[in-house]
Amino acid sequence: MAEPRATRTHRPRLGSGQIALEPADGILEPSEQVRSSLRFSDPSLSELPLDRLLDELLNLVQETLEVDTVAILLLDEDAQQLAARAAKGIEEEVERGVRIPIGGGFAGRIAAERVAIFIADVDHADILNPILREKGIRSLLGVPLIVEGRIVGVMHVGSLQPRNFGQSDLAVLQLAAARAAPAIERASLAARLEHEHNVSVALQRSLLPKRLGNFVGVTVATRYLPAREEVGGDWYDVFELPRGRVGLVIGDVVGHGVAAASLMGRLRTAVHSYAIESHGPGRTLELVDRFVHSLGEPAMATAAYAVFDPYTSAVQYATSGHLPPVVVGSSGSRVIDVTPAPPLGAFPYGRCAEHEFLLESEEILFLYTDGLVERRGVPLSDGIDALARAVDEADSPEEACLAAITGLVPVEGLRDDVAIVALQSSPVPDELHLRLPAEPKTLAQVRRILRRWLVERGGGETDVAEVTIAVSEACANAIEHAYSPAPASFELHAWGDNGDITVAVRDEGQWRPPRGENRGRGLTIIASAMDDVQVGRLDSGTEVVMRRRLLYR
Amino acid sequence: MSIADVQLSQAPGALVARLTGEVDMSNAEELGATVMGATPQDAYGVVLDLSAVEYLDSAGIYVIHGMRASLQSRGQNLVLVIPARSPVHDALRLSGAERPGEVVEELDAALRALNAPPAGS
Repeated sequence: MAEPRATRTHRPRLGSGQIALEPADGILEPSEQVRSSLRFSDPSLSELPLDRLLDELLNLVQETLEVDTVAILLLDEDAQQLAARAAKGIEEEVERGVRIPIGGGFAGRIAAERVAIFIADVDHADILNPILREKGIRSLLGVPLIVEGRIVGVMHVGSLQPRNFGQSDLAVLQLAAARAAPAIERASLAARLEHEHNVSVALQRSLLPKRLGNFVGVTVATRYLPAREEVGGDWYDVFELPRGRVGLVIGDVVGHGVAAASLMGRLRTAVHSYAIESHGPGRTLELVDRFVHSLGEPAMATAAYAVFDPYTSAVQYATSGHLPPVVVGSSGSRVIDVTPAPPLGAFPYGRCAEHEFLLESEEILFLYTDGLVERRGVPLSDGIDALARAVDEADSPEEACLAAITGLVPVEGLRDDVAIVALQSSPVPDELHLRLPAEPKTLAQVRRILRRWLVERGGGETDVAEVTIAVSEACANAIEHAYSPAPASFELHAWGDNGDITVAVRDEGQWRPPRGENRGRGLTIIASAMDDVQVGRLDSGTEVVMRRRLLYR
Repeated sequence: MSIADVQLSQAPGALVARLTGEVDMSNAEELGATVMGATPQDAYGVVLDLSAVEYLDSAGIYVIHGMRASLQSRGQNLVLVIPARSPVHDALRLSGAERPGEVVEELDAALRALNAPPAGS
């Protein structure tokens, strides 16, 4: 066995008793080298998860070199420490979570100086790790684990008997190190990515609406599909606005990962906040643009904001650099031609124009992000046309989402994430048959349904206002009289033709004599607003039937 | 979502409360209590601006009557801003009720009415 040679090329700073070794090149006997190489390059090793791979390598090293201990320590870059990750013979090193500062002791020096170090007699050497002394280890040999010029850890072997580790031992250890280092690097990179991915996915999920509200006169479906590898900053939002209107938002933050997901959350909140201030879509996006500029960090996003009014069927629409919406009707689909304003955060004081178009009953408004239609080497307009064809025959928002995803999302997954929000103006039935919870907040819902129904019956502004207040008063009575301990409900029926409409509200309680001025006033309102009012006391409750001839004004 | 909102501001000698949205039994009492709680003891009174209210029914009318009574017991006045063609105007008409306070059509008129010396003094 050859004597270790002290290195002369660079002069590492070493502790006492430490001897730096020059890398071993071709020192092994050819047959021995081939044998070792073969063992360490067994292809089945690369299929193992990192822990198993390190375990196998440690076993191989221990057998080949006939040493008592083998250990691998990995660099913790943030802490500038080496942490024991795998060991044979000194397993406590891992269990006790031994950490060695870079530059300190035996392993720390190997990492700092990036050289192999040999210690002939531990008793006289600079050693930080107490376990090595406790175990009675006498001689040590260690090598740095290096990937693409960067240190990722240290691997060392030890002997309970004094031993002169030679160049051939070093060569074997270097082979094992060469095998371990890239695997460690890959695994830790994957772990980092997975961690970031999990954080982004969790963030993304937490920032999207949990549950869609119950909207009157519209049906909504949404999707969020994460990308195969990275999380992006796509989002959608659906919220209720005054007078039964519904706000739909779709957006896409430029970038990926946690940062994009976090900005997405802020933008989603910003759009919603300005929207409930009753700004129209154009002004809302202008304000969000100012918000993005005020963040003081480079940020850019595209977004579109649509407000649908179920009473007028009008969609007010504004877009900041976002792709055009698709509308699906009974005669097929069409891409709505709107000129987008610049993306959010692109130019100071950008203006955002507002567009208006009609969404007829049963038509579907389909908003999406570019991940759905963008394919490498295919013009974007072709992707949008393909989307329009895919959703062509959808009868509902759910069907449209499904058709778009089956038609456009490749089986191997998406390169970019995708958000979709689709809204349909649902048809109003000729007759209303509703069973509603006897709670005060139901009233606003009743008024929304009823207004829409009255508009469909041809009711004019006065008709709608007066019938609505009368029916709402009758429902308020039903709610006030719902005394049952179980969750109470009441029924509302509405029907009519030739301008003669009837609304019946039936509850399960007993109407008491009007309580004070308040209820009395409610009955007066019903009587003045309707042509005929009948209050019937049934065994099971009370029914008020109200009839009115529409004035069409 | 919340179906109504109230914005409060101070004018000389008065609290101006501007209601928006829909007022019914689900929120009328809270809205009334919010306005009353914000009214300074030394104000002449309250201007309740109902011009932007989209819906108001007997529950709202009841609360406004209650506000008027409380204010009067403190020596304060209630002036309502209700334009001629507005949902609140229609609700009051349908209810046939006595007007729950002095009614004007615009905010400026309300402030003038509130600061004018009471008749007969």
